[in-house]
Amino acid sequence: MSDYQLNKLLFAMAGEHKMVESVSEESDLASYELSQAEKDALKTGDIARLYELGANPYLIRRVFRPRFKV
Amino acid sequence: MARIVAALLTSHAPNITAKPEVSDPAQRARFLSSFELLRQRLERARPDRLVIFANDHLQNFFYDNMPAYCIGLADSYEAPSSGSSAFLKIPERRVPGDGVWARRLLKAGWDAGFDFAFSQELEFWDDASVPLHFLLPEATVPIVPVMTNCAAPPLPPPKRSYQLGAFVREFIEKECPRDERVALLGSGGISHWVGTPETGKINEDFDQQVLDWVRQGRGEALAGLSYEEIETGGGNGGQELRNWIAVLGAVPGCKGEVLSYEPVRDWITGAATVWLLV
Repeated sequence: MSDYQLNKLLFAMAGEHKMVESVSEESDLASYELSQAEKDALKTGDIARLYELGANPYLIRRVFRPRFKV
Repeated sequence: MARIVAALLTSHAPNITAKPEVSDPAQRARFLSSFELLRQRLERARPDRLVIFANDHLQNFFYDNMPAYCIGLADSYEAPSSGSSAFLKIPERRVPGDGVWARRLLKAGWDAGFDFAFSQELEFWDDASVPLHFLLPEATVPIVPVMTNCAAPPLPPPKRSYQLGAFVREFIEKECPRDERVALLGSGGISHWVGTPETGKINEDFDQQVLDWVRQGRGEALAGLSYEEIETGGGNGGQELRNWIAVLGAVPGCKGEVLSYEPVRDWITGAATVWLLV
């Protein structure tokens, strides 16, 4: 399942305590087998789309914290 | 007979310590003063160790190898680590564990049909660091973590957590030295939506139902909820109620004194503290 790779990327970033608006560097994405939809959502920091795509919501919250209003 | 001398239920949320100032001052004061009351009562109960039922937030475990239940066997734990300390605004510290006691619990579990995983290194985020910050500021009581997967579905059924608590009680009463004093803490809930499109929602009706059952000593009713019922009523954060259910399973029929309930919008959590009348 591709969402495993998506979560793997987010897990790695959370482990480094990274909090970002988006993940846009190709070098950050290169190690993971991601679909185009996943890449697009990461690059635009689209947290709702990431959720739809199967990203664990705790990891979404952790990594994309600046994207949340509360 | 060794006995359970205290049983507590609390919510946790990073913003309780990371951003206390964003909450309503009156709500914050009521909630934090209830934590202080819990601390005093726990201290008076003079426990020799604290079994903490908590959940990982994917800081220790990942989908490559996800335990449904895991006992911490370490003699100390990061609660919090330096990395999460900066975020939680709780000073970095190590809290003592009790690896010997935890191993005995682990083996007794295997004999009783609970196939626990175990870990010799666990890092805690708000799951344990926040309640321990308030309840054991001097880290004077060793902890034994019993972790349940509440954050990475598929999750084990709530009713199994009730059985888990019953097992822990039996272990304490039958396998531990006669004069031993054990406290239990369940950390999590009540309703909150974390990282989902509904982040920030709190369902007060659901929370009040949960608290009514706790007041009435009806842990089995809470354990009867399905994953779907909790997800709908309490959000993905509500799944952490498994930690409460485990404690309730250890003290069946005991009524709860709800010391606080505050739906704190900016902590995105229906936040409660409960002292169980053991």
